[in-house]
Amino acid sequence: MTLWRQAALLLGFQLRDELRTGEVIAVVIPFGSIALLVIPMAVGIETTLLARIGPGMYWAVVLLFGVVVTQRSTASSTPSHRDALVLLGVDPAARFAATAAASALLLLLFEIGVGLVMIVLYDPVVVGWGWLALVLPLVAIGLAMLGTIAGSVTDGGGALAPLLVAPLAIPILLGAAQATEGLRLGAGILRWILVLALVDVVLALAGVLTARLLEESSR
Amino acid sequence: MKRPIEIAAAGTMLTALVTGLVVPPDAVQGDVQRIMYVHVPSAWLAYLAFGVTLIASLAHLRTRDLRWDRRAGASAEIGVVFTGLALATGMLWGKPVWGVWWTWDARLVLTAAMFFVYLAYLALRRTTDDPVIRGKRSAVFGIVAALQIPVVHFSVVWWRSLHQPPTILRPGEPQIDPPLLFALLMAVAAFTVLYVALLRRRVELAGAEDALLTTVRIEEPVAGSAVVGPQPRGEGA
Repeated sequence: MTLWRQAALLLGFQLRDELRTGEVIAVVIPFGSIALLVIPMAVGIETTLLARIGPGMYWAVVLLFGVVVTQRSTASSTPSHRDALVLLGVDPAARFAATAAASALLLLLFEIGVGLVMIVLYDPVVVGWGWLALVLPLVAIGLAMLGTIAGSVTDGGGALAPLLVAPLAIPILLGAAQATEGLRLGAGILRWILVLALVDVVLALAGVLTARLLEESSR
Repeated sequence: MKRPIEIAAAGTMLTALVTGLVVPPDAVQGDVQRIMYVHVPSAWLAYLAFGVTLIASLAHLRTRDLRWDRRAGASAEIGVVFTGLALATGMLWGKPVWGVWWTWDARLVLTAAMFFVYLAYLALRRTTDDPVIRGKRSAVFGIVAALQIPVVHFSVVWWRSLHQPPTILRPGEPQIDPPLLFALLMAVAAFTVLYVALLRRRVELAGAEDALLTTVRIEEPVAGSAVVGPQPRGEGA
């Protein structure tokens, strides 16, 4: 069985698991929405100010709460599960690709869900929907791969994973926030798209190349 | 002579201190500029230390030799200390010159992020006692973390920044008066020797820690420890 076929099968299993538990839809999206709800209580409820800072707050929430999506319980596996996959000859790179792809799809769902809440609560000027359709998946893929690598090196996440992910995700946050701001001001955002794409490629290479090493170091 | 590196570090640090105090003050900033004799070498040492962590991580993954892992960890520890020192001295200098302790400048924000990334690296190293597992995990993260080092260094070139662009490591002549440049280079040399001395001692200590952990692990009861072989009759009765 090819690596891609293995990854596709594992991706299907992970998404079915998530469908049963509903961790992202029922827990993380509401949690992120609460964050967007409480921010105006802290900074003031002036509508023009909220419309101005809304997109920035949205990306900060996506970065911080996105880590929770990548460290969800269905993304981690028990030692016996991992042993079974090793005995079945599943390529570690396929496992990495499947977990990262599942996280990316769920992060995209999270971004859309929380984005709609942000638009309702903050009423920002949203322009360039076509570009946003490119920015959102690029951010989701980058965060997903970073979270998957962090989950592997910490052997299942825990309290350490957010500390590993958040500072390294700053280029993703910068790229996303600058692209949104560029769209609002009518400026070109191609270079920020390239930054996001470059980060994604580097993380994909790092994840695939180190997958076997990290599998060897898992308990 | 015992510990020549430590003696050399103490000597060069003393010389750098004296040089930094006797050279004339900056024409514009006055004595505040002397903070640069600590700030710039600290920042240089942070780059050097994290660069060594990257090289040692790569070497560890290639050779699986735990000595490289210890070097990587020791260097990251020193790097975190000196990144913190660079941030602190930058703030001390920023208040009288820029008027603020902190500003949202690309170099400052990315340096702070680098500080947290390597704090996370050190926290990751403490998640397991097994040196082999620790070595593999931290080597992978050490390589991923190093991707931001060039971004931090070139941030003053890539973005419009309040932080000044490179003064010495730039094309053309350094933009600094020769006596001040001499004091700065003395400080950089002294901090570099200090780094070598600290790294050596920390690597020795890390080796002793690993040896101690291995000894303790051997003495700990394992599965089957409670089972004893048949004893000859009459003995111990």
